[in-house]
Amino acid sequence: MNTEHALPILVVDDNHDSTEIVRHLLEARGYRVFVAYNGDEALEVFERVRPALVLLDVMMPGRSGWDVCRIMKQHPQHGRKVRIMMLTARTAWDDKQAALTTGADDFVTKPLSLVELAARVERNLALIERAS
Amino acid sequence: MNPAVLLTDGLDPVVIAAAALLPSWRSTVRGPDDILEAIDLLPDVRAVLLSTTDPTLLRAAVERSRLRHIPVLLACGDETARRRAVALRIEEWYTPPATPEEIASRVRSALSRMAVSGAELAERVEKVAYEEMLYDPLTGAAALPLMIERMRSLIRERGELAIFYLEFVRSGKIEEIYGWEKLDGVLETTMAAVREFFDSSAFHPVRTMTSFIHDDDIIVFHVPPREEGPAAAGNIVAGAARLQHQVRSRLQAVHGEDIAELFDMYVGHAQVYDTPKLRLERVIYRGVRDAANAARSVEQRERARRVADLKQVLHERSVYIDYHPILRADTGAIFGYEALARGVLRSLRSPEVMFDVAAEADLLWELGRLCRSRALEGMRGRLRGDQLLFVNADPHDFTDPAFELDSVDPQRVVIEITERTAITNYPKFREMLRTFRERGYRFAVDDAGRGYAGLGSIANLEPDFIKLDISLINSIDTNFIKQNLVETLVGFATEQGAMVIAEGIERPEELETVKRLGVPLVQGFLFNRPERTTHPGLADSPPEQPGAPGATDHAPDRPQRSREEPLDQRD
Repeated sequence: MNTEHALPILVVDDNHDSTEIVRHLLEARGYRVFVAYNGDEALEVFERVRPALVLLDVMMPGRSGWDVCRIMKQHPQHGRKVRIMMLTARTAWDDKQAALTTGADDFVTKPLSLVELAARVERNLALIERAS
Repeated sequence: MNPAVLLTDGLDPVVIAAAALLPSWRSTVRGPDDILEAIDLLPDVRAVLLSTTDPTLLRAAVERSRLRHIPVLLACGDETARRRAVALRIEEWYTPPATPEEIASRVRSALSRMAVSGAELAERVEKVAYEEMLYDPLTGAAALPLMIERMRSLIRERGELAIFYLEFVRSGKIEEIYGWEKLDGVLETTMAAVREFFDSSAFHPVRTMTSFIHDDDIIVFHVPPREEGPAAAGNIVAGAARLQHQVRSRLQAVHGEDIAELFDMYVGHAQVYDTPKLRLERVIYRGVRDAANAARSVEQRERARRVADLKQVLHERSVYIDYHPILRADTGAIFGYEALARGVLRSLRSPEVMFDVAAEADLLWELGRLCRSRALEGMRGRLRGDQLLFVNADPHDFTDPAFELDSVDPQRVVIEITERTAITNYPKFREMLRTFRERGYRFAVDDAGRGYAGLGSIANLEPDFIKLDISLINSIDTNFIKQNLVETLVGFATEQGAMVIAEGIERPEELETVKRLGVPLVQGFLFNRPERTTHPGLADSPPEQPGAPGATDHAPDRPQRSREEPLDQRD
């Protein structure tokens, strides 16, 4: 297995079906995948595994994806290193602006196109590789 | 034990059936007029299920439920309802039509979510949040309470403490212009420079601590060693100018001249004495307040002085002009220049500062007129081929009855509309634009894509050029959302028949990215240093070779950057 695939990825979505599909897709490509079903859980896993990339659903009950993104990006040690991809149902102009103010690096529109999702994950990991 | 109550705001048989599926639950229905009272007062309510589309009612219901630790569920018929649910952090929602089984399981999940938030998980998250409160995440600076704790024994031993309040003005402006990422970088640099200053000076590091307060101001505590007299602490006040200079030159080296000139710092000092009769914390907080007030009064004096400076500038016409080249992204040829006026006096060097002072003194029209006329004067004979001159104007300038552009060659002039003030009278504004357009002038809008401003207002002005907001260009090579926004703006501009200009390009990677996204024109410190007119007291400098570095009488001792020598990437 290629070393770049060993970078941990955290997938956060309250919809279990959706996380399972994404987990399956990414694991089949050799990535190490962690899953969380809400914002608090995501922050807990984030603290534990320090993922290189987070796929973060915006619409979650409780703490929203925007809040989680902001908190992760402000993390004293890992905030600068992590890349965050928002999964959002709408990609209106305002949503993208909101994404920028929370520090997100990329977004994918739901419903997910798996091919596109894989390509986006790859291009984000490529940037992480280059930076390190 | 009484059965748990599922309180709901609509007579939905599916919801009632769902409650029946939950062991020892029953449902209670209340109309919109009574639901809030029921949330407050009805006993045994364990969950609230709402279907209302009234945002005010929903918000109130959620707030009141929270007070009683009751989870809320929302039936979301559409996207708007779901967005509302996210914004209010509602515990659970579903999309009707739903089966009683699904609703029952959602109720269980909402309850478990509520239970979890009280448990260990939340505690751990809270701990992280707590630690974040004690240290500034950006610089690792300790928060004030932590500083007091750390210095307590030193203060007790010495019996006194010096507090210095470093007030930063215009950090908000930096964020507004360049975006929060830039301000983060500026604050990091600032803090590092401040620490370095105290480390290298006579102030013993153990006895000196720095902290952020109010996000950008800095407090420094200093407990003088026993052998030193109390007056020694006053050295910092004397050294304030030195500190300011050191921070400014560091900012210039790391972030460039424009940012360094926006930076202003005022130092206030207070001496605090420890007496057993008073609580140390209270005394220190009072000291911080006194030091902050002292810093503010220095700032007030400085402001008054600047207004006087500005009046002198207007009287002597002492502004000089930086001509920032705008290049074609593909060939690197100079397409035109943006004229940026700077005050000859050091205190008014930054155009942003100069215009701020003018706004305060109600001299915006006068300053605008001076800057435009000097921009046109200085450019006479300088433009080659079909090069254009971009001149800044604020919507407020167009309300000036004496507003005029006196160019012999209007076809060569682009009026760049920078919205320092909002456009108030749109029809009149458009009418003004039309008259100038008829005379041959062209228009550019500045800062497109900033904040939440839609594209509609840009389209309204029918610009010939659209300048992208600097915050979109900063690190665009690694941010795919910025890339997407710029791509959208390029498409939009093409539809409008306008050309896009990306300003604030500092790194070759940023240039490559905007080129790839189809941006035709670029501007920024990656390219040549701006050309300058000389001191206006003297004659204007003779026309120079376009593209050649400008007169250097004001140039900082920083190496010139050119396209042939790409910048080292600084991180």
